[in-house]
Amino acid sequence: MSHSESLTLPAAPPSPAFNPARLLPALLTALILLLCVTPFLLVIAIAFGQKIEGAGWEWAFTFANFQRFFVGAGWPEDVTYLYLQRLWYSLYYAVIASLLAVLTAFPFTLCLTRLSRRAQSRWLVFILASLSLSEVFVVMGWDVLFSNRSGLPMVFRETGLTDWLKANGLFDLLREWGLASPRNVKFKTSAFATVMCMAYLVWPYAVILLYPALSRLDQSQIEAARTMGATPRQVLTTVILPAVRLPLTGAVLLLFVFLLGTYVAVTVFAEPAKQTTAISVYESVRGSTLNAPFGAAQAVILLVTAATFLGLGQLLMLRGRP
Amino acid sequence: MKRALAPAFMALSAIMLALPIIVVSGAALNGGRTMLFPPQDPTLARFAEFFITEPVWRVALWNSLIIAFGSAALAVLIAWPVAYLLWAKGSRLSKTLAALGSLPFALPPIVFGVGLGFFWSFAGVLGALPVAIVSHAALFMALPLVTISIGLQSIERAHLDAAATMGATEAVAFRTIILPQTLPYTASGFFFALVLSFNEFIVMFFVSASAYSTVTLQIFNSLRNGYTPTMAVAAITFIAVSIIVFSAVARWGDLPRLMGADETRS
Repeated sequence: MSHSESLTLPAAPPSPAFNPARLLPALLTALILLLCVTPFLLVIAIAFGQKIEGAGWEWAFTFANFQRFFVGAGWPEDVTYLYLQRLWYSLYYAVIASLLAVLTAFPFTLCLTRLSRRAQSRWLVFILASLSLSEVFVVMGWDVLFSNRSGLPMVFRETGLTDWLKANGLFDLLREWGLASPRNVKFKTSAFATVMCMAYLVWPYAVILLYPALSRLDQSQIEAARTMGATPRQVLTTVILPAVRLPLTGAVLLLFVFLLGTYVAVTVFAEPAKQTTAISVYESVRGSTLNAPFGAAQAVILLVTAATFLGLGQLLMLRGRP
Repeated sequence: MKRALAPAFMALSAIMLALPIIVVSGAALNGGRTMLFPPQDPTLARFAEFFITEPVWRVALWNSLIIAFGSAALAVLIAWPVAYLLWAKGSRLSKTLAALGSLPFALPPIVFGVGLGFFWSFAGVLGALPVAIVSHAALFMALPLVTISIGLQSIERAHLDAAATMGATEAVAFRTIILPQTLPYTASGFFFALVLSFNEFIVMFFVSASAYSTVTLQIFNSLRNGYTPTMAVAAITFIAVSIIVFSAVARWGDLPRLMGADETRS
């Protein structure tokens, strides 16, 4: 919002030849370009570099790192889709977890916005406190919750739920899904545990993203629909959902992009064969393989994926606007 | 029946949200070295270990505090003029600056972390503590940028007009109207950045280059060796800090409005 018209203060005294305030935009531009843009540009530039065997890496302009990502280093004689598979798992976990978070956060936020302002403040403190909890702590909490000795498997065993599942044939189904050992249910390692933890990580973000739109819903339209005999479901599908369609899509996209880079949850809960690009970025840059250009190339692919989805989202938003 | 559905759903969501936090907090009370829940042989000895007797945790906590306070202050210092330019001029440059400043927060943090790792490595300062402060300031600048912008937009135009009529210069109007009215929003932005920096892991992981530890890095480094109840004390500390900070923001500021609620509704 521009306030240039509102700032009708008296004209400033004639400026001296050198006014430090005039340097401010230039200084800010330089600072932001240096701190917020250069790191991304460096990742892109290094992605075209090449590794020197037994040493570091050097600047170059080769697509070998990208080729290795999509078809493997030995292409065309030998083709491997290992890194493409990792990207697939990045997308798979991120899509399910972001959808799960938004679908469950939506009714919660709707209820939240119906409360008094004071009650909303209290809930928001709780939501923000859990939002700020580090991924490391969240993973630690879920790890204890999923552990055999004192977590949910112990609860299943002690309450007789495991025996009930076995008696009703559901246990075999859980085993087929990889969520049970011959003795008891088990959640680690599994896609279920990974997605649960990731959805938990972004659930408070989902509430925060949906909160502005839902708290600004036109109540008179909802009341009018109710007066005219609409059921709560009809109010939801014909009034509320169309009004918040864009914020809902936006929230899913933003959470999806955020989750693409999830690291700790995937390290702890995903099976080694089903790990993501974020893990191989780490392995290449800081881990065992130490191949900075290949790590950068994978980071660029993650960046392009995120930017593509954000761009698509922007396009959808623009088209959806009246 | 249907009326009870909404509170029941909210309660269930709150339980789900609190569950890992409760489990971790409870595990901090374990007398032994294993993270069991419910805790066995409850004791507060782990708190003494975390805050007093084990230097590794004390140093990590100190590093976390320095980085969080430093980066939040720096983020506010950079975000303020950007938000002000955006509000006062609304020029293309200010919009571009605001968008570019928000990039690190909007894109996957691991990419920014890797980029910063390269950046500081070229500068020859990778692993220095001030580098962590600057890195987090760049990452979280988007937060004060948003809250300060909300604050600036809430300034009454009539106040500025009255000041102008009474002969106030831009500098005087800034000092007596703009600054005081945006102070709560600036403080909120500072606290948002502070809390998130306190808990951030992945960017810190790349820029620290194992030269020092923050609490989250210390816990991550110990992940493969198994958890200990002392780590859980760290989680309790973090949650307590977050609750205190956000309660303060709610007490002295309008939290629903900061989060985007319509200010005309109560």
